[in-house]
Amino acid sequence: MVGNWRPNQFNLQSLMKKILTELVLTVAIIVAVWFGLSQVDWMKLFKIKQATQNTEEKIGDLFWKMMQNSETEITSDSIVAPVDSILTRICTANSIDRKKIKLHLLRKDDINAFALPGNHLVIYSGLITTCENEAELYGVIGHELAHMEKNHVMNKLVKEIGLSVLISISTGNGNSEAIKSAIKQISSSAYDRKLETEADLTAVDYLEKAGIDPEPFANFLYQLADQTKNLPSQIYWISSHPESKERAEKIIERIKGKSFPKAEVMDSLRFERLKERVQELVK
Amino acid sequence: MIATSTFHYQPTDHEAEKASNSYVMSMIAIMGGLPLPIINLIATFFFYLGNRKGTFYVRWHCTQALLSQLFLIPFNSAGFWWTVSIIFTSETISSQYIAYILTLFIFNLIEFIGTIYTAIITRKGRHVEWWVIGGLTNLICKA
Repeated sequence: MVGNWRPNQFNLQSLMKKILTELVLTVAIIVAVWFGLSQVDWMKLFKIKQATQNTEEKIGDLFWKMMQNSETEITSDSIVAPVDSILTRICTANSIDRKKIKLHLLRKDDINAFALPGNHLVIYSGLITTCENEAELYGVIGHELAHMEKNHVMNKLVKEIGLSVLISISTGNGNSEAIKSAIKQISSSAYDRKLETEADLTAVDYLEKAGIDPEPFANFLYQLADQTKNLPSQIYWISSHPESKERAEKIIERIKGKSFPKAEVMDSLRFERLKERVQELVK
Repeated sequence: MIATSTFHYQPTDHEAEKASNSYVMSMIAIMGGLPLPIINLIATFFFYLGNRKGTFYVRWHCTQALLSQLFLIPFNSAGFWWTVSIIFTSETISSQYIAYILTLFIFNLIEFIGTIYTAIITRKGRHVEWWVIGGLTNLICKA
């Protein structure tokens, strides 16, 4: 468009109207382009998910190999099978692919369970013997499963040890000290409060769908919070999960007014047998 | 989107060069402004400082270059902080995020091309008025 331009030749009102119209149109075009481009599945197109999964699996396998070398894994079917059945029940009820989760039971007195990258779920024998009933263990497993499903594990690692260290670990250039430090971060320190709450509430949803009463899980948090006063160093799971009473209250609030089959919680015989077998093994 | 016209007076060669230079500076700011929007902010500040006492033609085009930078800041900043949140928080990369970054890239590229075109035309002493930004400049910049 070519013409002769003169300053102050505009009527203020019509100029304002023109600016506003053009501004609204521009923002609308930007939003429309963004919306249009959002319709494309870029994650699939650039194979981002696959690349992320491969990296995560590499890191997870490396972490687990290192743990395997320093800890004793429980392989007895009579112990692994009941815990496996708990995990399978939660997965089936919540359409989570059970095959992708690698369950590992370790012979260690510490009360701890944690998720490693690449869907490795590690549970210490000390946690199983501390649970008073099966539903409590369901809650802890559900909580760790939620961390995996919500991608908290990798996010925490990126945040705590940095993306560059993780990339060097995944490409085989990370030294053993860096790997040990990363394992320590993931096994004995907390996720932030928001992520812990999200994992708790997701676990409650998982338990609900699996037909398990989440109340014992909340009770477990209460009990461990009290025990922490006496045995702070051993109770990793709770010391790495702060504000446990507050979290327990949130769980109770979430399930208020809902009814769950109590039979599952009362099924103590099977769980007691499991605990006995674990205790015998640890002796 | 860009309206070309002759100015009400014929700018001198020196004025045309100064006005054109403001777009050259703007071009550099656009290049840095996509990853780091603070560069847009710094660039706009220097445009203002350097040319607030220039002739009307220079002032008008410096203001237009300045406003074009300001216009990009909120969009680029949103992209910047979204990226930061993906790296440092629980936020994950998604198709929406990639689409937003592509949108930013497209509009920064359009502005970049527009800036090059405007730098060339203003160097010839012609007047170029941008969509939205030109109107705002008319509102702010008085003869």
